[in-house]
Amino acid sequence: MNLRGERSGLILLIASLLVMAVSVYVLLDYQIQQRQQQAREQGLALARLFSGMPWQQVIGDGGQRGLLEVLRQGQSNPDFAYAQVVDNSGRIIDDASATGIIAPAFRMPAGPAEWLGQELLGEGDERFIESRAPLFDQGELRGFIRIGYRVPRLRPSYRQLPIIATLSLPIFLLMPLFYFFLRREMRPLQAISRSLDRLAENQDNPPELQPGPELGDFMERFNRFLDTTQSRILQLQQEQDEQLVQSRLLAYKNSKIESILQALPEAVLVIDESGSVSYANEKLRELLGREPSGIIGHQPAEWCHSVEILRALSGQFDKGELLRVDGPELAADQPALTRRKLEIRSYPLFAPQQDNRLLGRLVVIRDVTDLHHEQLRQAEFISQIAHELKTPLNVLSMYSESLIDEGLTSAEHRIEAANIIHDEVERLANLIQNLLSISQYELGGLSIERQRVRLRDLLEDCFNTLAHGDRGGEYRFELDLPPDLPALMLDKPLMRVAINNLLSNALKYSPPGSRIRLEAEANDEIVEIRVIDEGYGIAEQDLPHIFDKFYRSEDENIRKQTGHGLGLSLTRHIIHIHQGEISVESETGKGSLFRIRLRRTAA
Amino acid sequence: MKRLLIVDDEQHVLRILKLALERAGYLVDTCSNGADALEYLRQQKPDALITDIQMPRMTGEELCRRIEQDYPERRFPIFVITSRTEVEHRQWSARIDNLHFIEKPVSMRNLLNQLHRLFSEEPTA
Repeated sequence: MNLRGERSGLILLIASLLVMAVSVYVLLDYQIQQRQQQAREQGLALARLFSGMPWQQVIGDGGQRGLLEVLRQGQSNPDFAYAQVVDNSGRIIDDASATGIIAPAFRMPAGPAEWLGQELLGEGDERFIESRAPLFDQGELRGFIRIGYRVPRLRPSYRQLPIIATLSLPIFLLMPLFYFFLRREMRPLQAISRSLDRLAENQDNPPELQPGPELGDFMERFNRFLDTTQSRILQLQQEQDEQLVQSRLLAYKNSKIESILQALPEAVLVIDESGSVSYANEKLRELLGREPSGIIGHQPAEWCHSVEILRALSGQFDKGELLRVDGPELAADQPALTRRKLEIRSYPLFAPQQDNRLLGRLVVIRDVTDLHHEQLRQAEFISQIAHELKTPLNVLSMYSESLIDEGLTSAEHRIEAANIIHDEVERLANLIQNLLSISQYELGGLSIERQRVRLRDLLEDCFNTLAHGDRGGEYRFELDLPPDLPALMLDKPLMRVAINNLLSNALKYSPPGSRIRLEAEANDEIVEIRVIDEGYGIAEQDLPHIFDKFYRSEDENIRKQTGHGLGLSLTRHIIHIHQGEISVESETGKGSLFRIRLRRTAA
Repeated sequence: MKRLLIVDDEQHVLRILKLALERAGYLVDTCSNGADALEYLRQQKPDALITDIQMPRMTGEELCRRIEQDYPERRFPIFVITSRTEVEHRQWSARIDNLHFIEKPVSMRNLLNQLHRLFSEEPTA
C-alpha cells in the first residue's frame, strides 16, 4: 500500500515534469510561429511600400543615405537579415544587411506573375524568408527590392527563462495539492480494491466499505453491488455443492443398484420397447453363455439360438409368468442331461409417471438346476418310499390271503405265515419310524434334546438288547467298555437309535457264528465308539454310498436281508446333529468297522 | 401241466407264490434275480414268467428287454409285479408284447384268475 502510494507520487512527479516540458515547447513553438508570421507580413508590406516608390527615390543618389540603410537601422525585428535593390539584370544596386549576414544570390523571377512574391531561400542553418517586389521608373521595370528575414529557429535563450520559470512554478506548487487530493479520493478506491481482493480470496464477509463524503453514493451502490454479488456467489456455491452431492448420491445409487444387480444370483436382462437388450448383468455369461457387453443393443434373436429361451425373452408371455427351459448348450459336446435348467420370468416395465407407458421388459433368468435335481430326487424319494412300503405290504397281503385260503390250512403253514406277517409288520413299522425321523430331520425338525447320559449304560443296554434278542444266540458277542467312560450330553433316544442301527446291521450282515464287538475309548477331547463285525463287508463301490438314503448294495448277501436303506442314513444324521462324525472301514468277506466320534465338550 | 417261472429277490414272496401256484396245479420254478432267470431260459421256456422289478444283479426291466431281444419269437406271457404304476413303466414296456403289469400288493386270487383265463383261452395243443 505504501509502495503503491509512493509509486503514484513518483508518477505524478514525472507527469508534472512532462507537462512542464510540453508547456515550454508549445510556448516556444508559438513564439516562433508568431515571429515567422511577422517576418512574412512585415517583409511583404515593406516590399510593397518600396515598390510603390519611384526608382530614383529608392536607390537615392551619391551623398545621401539610401532608404535601405534607413530601413535597416529602423528595423526593430530581431530576425531582419537583409534588404537589397537589384536591377533587372540581377546586379546589386544597393544593399543593407544585418551584421554577419550574407544575402543569398538573387533569383530572377521568370515572368511578371512572379515579380511580387515571397519565397524561402538559403540552406542549412541560414534560411531566409524573402519578400520581393518590382521597382519601376516611369512605368518601366528597373529592378527589384528584396527584403529577407531569418527563419526563426527553436532555440531557447536565456531571455525566455523567466517565462519558463513563471510557467513551472504554479505547476510545481499545484502538484502536491493535486497529489494530496488524488490520494484522498483514491483511498476509498483502495478500500474497494482490498474488498475485491478479499472477495476473490473467497472470504465470506467482505467488510462494509466506509464511504467518503465525495464517493458516498457510488460507494453505497458499490457496497450493494458487492452484497448482491456475494450472495449470488454464495447461492451459486450452494447450488454447486448441492449438485455435487446430488451427482455423487446418484453415482452412489447407480453403483449400488449396479452392484446389487451384479450380486443377484439371477441373470437380469432389460429389454427396451424396441426389443433390444439395454441392460444385462454378469450372470448372463454363466447362464446363457453370452458376454453381457456383446448383446447390449441387440435383439435376442441375434444372439439366442434356443427357441424356448427366445420365446421367453421375446415376451410372448408377459405377466411374470414362469417358464422352465433347458439351458443352452454351453459346450459343443455337452449332453442334454447335464445342461442347466433355467427358469425365466418376464415382467413388463412401466413408466409410472407417464400414464404407465410400457418401457420394456425385465427378464429374470434363474438357474434352477439344483432345484430341478432336488425335485427329481424328491420324486425319486417318494417313489422309493412307495416301493419300500409296498414290498412288506405285498408280503403281508399274500400271506394273509393265504391264511384265508382253505387249501393252505396246515398248522405248519399257519405258524410260518403268522411269523412272516409279524416280521413284516415290524419291518413296516420300523421303516415308517425311520422315515418319520428322516423327514423330521430334513425339515429341520429333528430337534435334539440333550441330557446327561452315562454312555457306558447306554451302550451296555443296546448291546444286551441285541445279544439277548431273537437271533442273539447265533453270534459271539463281545463288549469292551472302559470303566471310566465319561457321561456325555446326548439326546438319549436318538443316540440309542443310532447305536441300535449299527448293531442290528452288524448282526444282519454277518453269518451266524461270527463275532460282533462293541467297544469304546475316551481321551480328554473325544469319545470313540466302534462297532466291529466279521460279516460280508461292504464292497468298495458301495462304500461311498452306504450313508445315502435308500442306498442298497447289489450284493446278494445284503439283498437277502430285509432292509430299507434308511438306517445308516438316519444314523449319520443323528451323529451329525450331535456334532459328531461317523466313518466306516470295510473289506468284502472280512467284515466292517463303524466308528463314531463324539466330542466330550459338545454343548 | 403249465410251467411257471417266478423271479423275485424276496424269499418270502417266492415262497408263498410257489406254494399257492403249486396248489393251483402249476409247475413252479424260481429265480432270485434277472441274470439267473436268463440262465434258466437258455435251458427251457416256461408257459408264463412272473417277475419283480427291483432285484439285485439284473432288474426285471432289464430282464424283459433281454428276453425281447434274445427271443423275438417268444410266445409266453410276462407278468411284471411292480410297486409302482403301469404308467411309470410305459417308456420301456410299450415296445414289448404280451406284457402284463400286476401292481403291489399282489392279490393271489387275481393272479390265479389271470393265469387261468390266459391258459384257458389258449387253444389246447
